[in-house]
Amino acid sequence: MDTLSNILFAPVYLPLLGAALILVCKSFFKTTIRRLAEYVGMLIGLIVPVILTLSLRSELGAGRALEAVAGSWAQEIGIIYRFDGLSLLMILLTAAVTIPAWIYSRKVGPAHSSFTALLLVQNAAIAAISMTADLFNLFVCLEVMGVVAYVLIAGSQKGSAVYASFSYLMLSSTAMVFFLLGTFGLYRLTGSLSYEAIAQSLAAGENQQFALICLILLVVPILLRVAVLPLSLWLVDAHSKAPHAVSALLSGVLLKIPLFALVRVFSLVPDSALFALPISYAGAITALVGVLMALAQSDAKKLLAYHSISQIGYVVTAWGLALQAGVHTQAGALLLSVSFFHAFSHALFKALLFLAVGTATDAGANRNVYTLRGASRSLKREGERLPITLLCYLVGALSIMAIPPFNGYFSKNLLTYAIKGGVHYPMLTMAGVGTVASFLKLSRIFLPAKEKEETLAARLRPRFPLTLHAGLLILALLCILTGLFAPETYAFIAGLLSAQPVQSYDAHFFFTSDTLAKTLSTALAGIALFLFILTKPGAWIFHQLGRYKARFSDLFFGFALALALLLLVARVL
Amino acid sequence: MIIERILIALLFLSGFAAIVGMRNIIKKIFGLNLLNASVVLLFILEGSRIGNQAPILDADITNMVDPIPQALMLTAIVIGVCVSALSLALAVRLYKATGSLDIQVITERLQREH
Repeated sequence: MDTLSNILFAPVYLPLLGAALILVCKSFFKTTIRRLAEYVGMLIGLIVPVILTLSLRSELGAGRALEAVAGSWAQEIGIIYRFDGLSLLMILLTAAVTIPAWIYSRKVGPAHSSFTALLLVQNAAIAAISMTADLFNLFVCLEVMGVVAYVLIAGSQKGSAVYASFSYLMLSSTAMVFFLLGTFGLYRLTGSLSYEAIAQSLAAGENQQFALICLILLVVPILLRVAVLPLSLWLVDAHSKAPHAVSALLSGVLLKIPLFALVRVFSLVPDSALFALPISYAGAITALVGVLMALAQSDAKKLLAYHSISQIGYVVTAWGLALQAGVHTQAGALLLSVSFFHAFSHALFKALLFLAVGTATDAGANRNVYTLRGASRSLKREGERLPITLLCYLVGALSIMAIPPFNGYFSKNLLTYAIKGGVHYPMLTMAGVGTVASFLKLSRIFLPAKEKEETLAARLRPRFPLTLHAGLLILALLCILTGLFAPETYAFIAGLLSAQPVQSYDAHFFFTSDTLAKTLSTALAGIALFLFILTKPGAWIFHQLGRYKARFSDLFFGFALALALLLLVARVL
Repeated sequence: MIIERILIALLFLSGFAAIVGMRNIIKKIFGLNLLNASVVLLFILEGSRIGNQAPILDADITNMVDPIPQALMLTAIVIGVCVSALSLALAVRLYKATGSLDIQVITERLQREH
């Protein structure tokens, strides 16, 4: 029992230990030892916990979970951590993005040792969020994750990044006060804070209406972190102004973790399923609106940020339907696994896209999609010999456009297949068309420029940072591998998430004539939409859309709107 | 009890109004602090429903308050301090970058940068 609880707490304690080591070495030693401390800290803080938690794989699945109490307190007063399949998946997702993003940042920044320490603190918070079985502990960990995110966003020192960080901080902290109010309500109602005790007490008691209102107060702040419309206005600035490695993390990891932690909060209140359907509709609308706004952007990283909103919409759609069916039913488990599968693919390809596009726009010293051309030549001028950035960008772009054999194809098709028959299906299909069109638009930055090519002497070329390529290549490789082994990846996820044995899909399932015809027609419609943007009326429409900029008060308006809408749902249903 | 609750609600609302309505970012940060303080007070008030003595284990303590809200709020206050410190640091950065503390002027000047 003792070793078991040690292993369970390793993903929380070891990153904190690593961060402490790095910060101590930063203040007392010179460069070499500082550097060394960073690598050692990363090793014990990120890689060891992943290996340890993976070793628990055989204990999980089929609805089993491991429990431990922090600091060997008694069960009733201690903080209980419950490690189940979902926790393991969340830790793996975080590591799969954090490690390549950190390697990428080694040369191009932010490359100081406090950045590494912050990453580790964030990993500790994420591991705690994934395992906690206590409402107040969830609040604390969400705040820790948030504070690290604010610091990371402001890391690029530019005024606009600081502004993005400030407005996200104000919005998110205000929302967390509402979360605290919800916690207060449930504590008053049930006299306890642990998930299990609250659920038991609410299942027996009356007062359902009050419990629902408390649940709304808990759900809206978490959905704010997930950036579902109308709560996603903060995301664009924050994700596009942050340093590239941070953007990759924000979009790959920090959007998804709160969403999957919310699964457990939802199960507290008996009638919570009635919110699930409205949230899934919000997800579908988010997917569609996000992609339309992405089409209208001229800034390359803003375009990617709107795509994060759009893709999280896909995930939330399947997630909402899963909770409506109930995560313990067969259908619900299938939808939740599909939702996580797409979240995982999106984490990989969006991180890859942020890093690759960031590298290209830095080399071209221009972020405007309409004027930046010949990015691969600028990269060559920077010293890149093989067009690795371009190739990695293509892997990411084809993944997000759902072209086989990359991972996006499998996860997106599985997701749309799972939700077939509802109103969501046509909306997500339309969003897929928009995705193809906007990535055609973005890909133009790699087209050759019109000006004459100058020849570069090979020895004058600066050395291109190896670590940058390593970061990109790891992510691209993961995209390809999870695509080639998509049935196995899915089976791994579904095996961890569902209590009953799940239906597995073999490779043939993904390549039926139906699916291929759908992919082809989506691609063709995307090309048609892209051509429409190039015409005069199309350009005018999207130019008008692109002029929208969220003001500070708009963020709060979105928050109030979301609260009001959910309260309305609770009243009406 | 009801008067305290109304006062706390007023504190909460004035904090929220300051965050949304005030143009000066320092005042916005004050608003966030008010918001935090109101929720802390609410928890403490709730904990004191069942008793009125400090929750320190001693022989002659009979009707002590509920200790859990106090423990929670200690943590919440610490988090609040961290967030305030960070937001003030960001406010200083914003002032250095744009020369103003007015949110509208800041956004305008940042847009002109591009």
